[in-house]
Amino acid sequence: MDVAEILKSLTDAFPEAISEATAESEIRAGSYVDKDKVKKVCQYLKDSLQFDHLCSVCGVDYIKRNELEVVYHIASYNHPVVLTLKARLPRENPEIESIVSVYWNANWYERETYELFGILFKNHPNLKSLVLPEDMLGEWPLRKDYEGFPNKTARNLV
Amino acid sequence: MTIVVPEYLAPLIPWVRGIVGLVLIGFIFVGAMGAVWLERKLSADIQTRMGPCRVGKYGLLQLVADAIKLFTKEDLKPLNADSLLFNNANIFMLGSVFLMLVALPVGAVFINGVEYPLAVTQMDISVLYIEAVSALSIFGIFMVAYGSNNKYSLLGAFRNFARMVGYEVPLGISVISVAAMTGSLNIVDISSAQGLHWNIFLQPLGCFVFFVSLMADMGRLPFDQNESEEELIAGWITEYCGMRFGLGFFAEYIHMILGSFLVALLFLGGWNVPGFIANNSVLGLIAPTGFLIVKVVFVLMVIIGLRWAVPRFRIDQVVDLSWKKLLPLALLNLVWAVGLGLYLGA
Amino acid sequence: MEEQLEPNEMIVHLGPQHPMQPGPFRLNLRLKGETVVDADIELGFIHKGIEKILENKTYLQGITIVDRICYLVALVNEECFVGCTEKLLGIKPPERSQYIRVILDELTRIQSHLLGMGEFGEFIGFVSMFMYAIREREEVLGLIDMVTGARVTHSYLKFGGVRDDLPDGFKEKALSVFNNLKKSVDDFEEMFHTDRIFRERTVGVGVLTADVAKNLGVSGPVLRATGVPFDIRKNEPYLVYKDLDFKVCTETAGDCFARVQVRINEIRESIYILEQCLDQIPGGPLFPEGTMYGRRTPVMRVPAGEVFHRVEDPRGEMGMYMISDGSDKPYRVKIRGPYYPTLQALPPLIIGTTVADVASISGSMDGCTSEADR
Repeated sequence: MDVAEILKSLTDAFPEAISEATAESEIRAGSYVDKDKVKKVCQYLKDSLQFDHLCSVCGVDYIKRNELEVVYHIASYNHPVVLTLKARLPRENPEIESIVSVYWNANWYERETYELFGILFKNHPNLKSLVLPEDMLGEWPLRKDYEGFPNKTARNLV
Repeated sequence: MTIVVPEYLAPLIPWVRGIVGLVLIGFIFVGAMGAVWLERKLSADIQTRMGPCRVGKYGLLQLVADAIKLFTKEDLKPLNADSLLFNNANIFMLGSVFLMLVALPVGAVFINGVEYPLAVTQMDISVLYIEAVSALSIFGIFMVAYGSNNKYSLLGAFRNFARMVGYEVPLGISVISVAAMTGSLNIVDISSAQGLHWNIFLQPLGCFVFFVSLMADMGRLPFDQNESEEELIAGWITEYCGMRFGLGFFAEYIHMILGSFLVALLFLGGWNVPGFIANNSVLGLIAPTGFLIVKVVFVLMVIIGLRWAVPRFRIDQVVDLSWKKLLPLALLNLVWAVGLGLYLGA
Repeated sequence: MEEQLEPNEMIVHLGPQHPMQPGPFRLNLRLKGETVVDADIELGFIHKGIEKILENKTYLQGITIVDRICYLVALVNEECFVGCTEKLLGIKPPERSQYIRVILDELTRIQSHLLGMGEFGEFIGFVSMFMYAIREREEVLGLIDMVTGARVTHSYLKFGGVRDDLPDGFKEKALSVFNNLKKSVDDFEEMFHTDRIFRERTVGVGVLTADVAKNLGVSGPVLRATGVPFDIRKNEPYLVYKDLDFKVCTETAGDCFARVQVRINEIRESIYILEQCLDQIPGGPLFPEGTMYGRRTPVMRVPAGEVFHRVEDPRGEMGMYMISDGSDKPYRVKIRGPYYPTLQALPPLIIGTTVADVASISGSMDGCTSEADR
């Protein structure tokens, strides 16, 4: 299956959820996805289009647009296409459905995105801090307006 | 032979005995240090590296440096450790080893063709006594592991029990086979009765079973699950610091030397030498003990080399090996030994 | 994990400091006797905040920092970062630089697999295996040292090329090292195959089937040992891998023994790739002609855009998602390490086995916690 067919099949199945679907090259494609339909889109990708490998789930802070984005990279063990799905979330109260039931290894990625950005993943089996200590929960360090860095680094403490 | 002491020197006899005993204990510890040095150098050779080579010529004084280090370390005790068990476990560990040494002959001298074995005491049942006393060390290990209030030590202790219970039986049966064929439980008799046809040729299966059970009894790799450094930190001896650890360490190496002595005496012909050497006045004094020491060192090198050449078993595989494989072989060997003894005796 | 414990259960921490671990993480085991009933992993003991640091450093400074994601395979991490940036810049390094990068990547793969094999032998009690493997690894590290000047954290790649050319006499030294290495790898394989105790500890332990492995999201030798031929060098070739002839090593059993076998075969394949590279490497410049990229790279602004680039790390699939907003510092870099999903898959695998098997399984996964934590 090549990129054009994949994008066409995806936009045909979810005409209102997928927007701005572009193919950057023969092996990379990306689109925006509506944040309420992420789980259904992922289920469709896994079942019908052979996208059975979740590469990563990450968050990006677009402070100028006042938005947070959750970016999913989904690939396949059979063909080399990697699909980038982006979901836009408001910065005040970011919540999105968790895709742990579709891809098992999304568990830790979502935990990490939660503690670094503050994005709440609904229906996640175990949403607690992974790489940061528990007392840093609530500081969302990777947001652009985090005050702790670089003021809390060693150079400024000693 | 007996030595006659004049009357006025009689009160000094306990002092003389005490000093001789301390000197012998000193020799034993030096022997253990030699065994540790041998292990470190041999393991380095197997792993294509140099062992200790800076402290003293060929690293011979490395163990002295290590002993000084161990003496000068702080003696820590965990907060909730059981004092009675924790403080006194060393007594059992070293005590069992020294009790074994009491009955073990370390050589012999031939004076005018008559053989005088060098042992502290000669008992009629020395082999049985040595077996029984070597099982006392398990109390020491369990006291340390249970009294340390540490989960890793506890796991080590459980594995230790499973292992020891399984391997005492083939060990005892293979020793009994040798005793049955010779007709005596005295280790001096078993050793001299071999003459020049050693027991390893008459009972090869028995030697194999005895050797494997001995390795398991001593807790050497591939049977050191109670220690297994990679899974349980240091296993049963995790919480011991300084010289407490040093004494346990030395007890293990002295046990290893004793095990090699047992193999050499029971299966490799002990100190037996051909007749012309026994009748020679000078060689008769040094050659038998020398032969025995050479055999002991050889067995020691095999035990050490085996540790660094194979991985470690899992505990359920160890127990499986003892009950399902070694025990039938030991029983088979017993039948063979009894049959061979009757045939040779007839 | 914190529910009421039964009378004969206890919780043991294979804690942050343990002789058995490739890096600090806490593995909480709930044991019933010797059997593992429940397991849980806590990370974060070596979290350095690399993603945040990279947002505040220029791209050139970023190369030095990306080295430290996993200090054992630093060159592959640099390859990922520099590959991402080159895609954003729209430049391609010349042939000679690409061959040099492939040579260094494959040397890194060999030394990482040797260390993995040695450590696995050590975890099951075979300490001598560690010594033998480290001895061979020293020779390979000497080769890398000859080229880059350092044994770890090299900072050798640059945008558009590499920092320095190969030194004189590299090809002869490399070929002699490979001759010895081939014999040693044959010895190791024989040791693993003929040792009865080793087979008892590894065959049938920690079995993964292909479907379960794909579901868990693992990649690298762990996945290839189950039979799935997934290798980024063949799926989406980067650098000059499409001109080189090599095969993807797979096994079918999926247990610890198969994983070790895959690593041994991969060392042989890497030596074959290296011999081809040393044969085919062309002359030429190290940086693209007529551009400003050279040994002294100026502070540059990277055009706005985003890219997701994947490379084949010795442990699996490493990816980086880089967003640039037109300035001289990256806007966001997301690092997808290969050991992260493998570590996540460890607790389900060890439930039901004994403590001794935990050492076996965890050692056969061969990871570096530093890249899981970043």
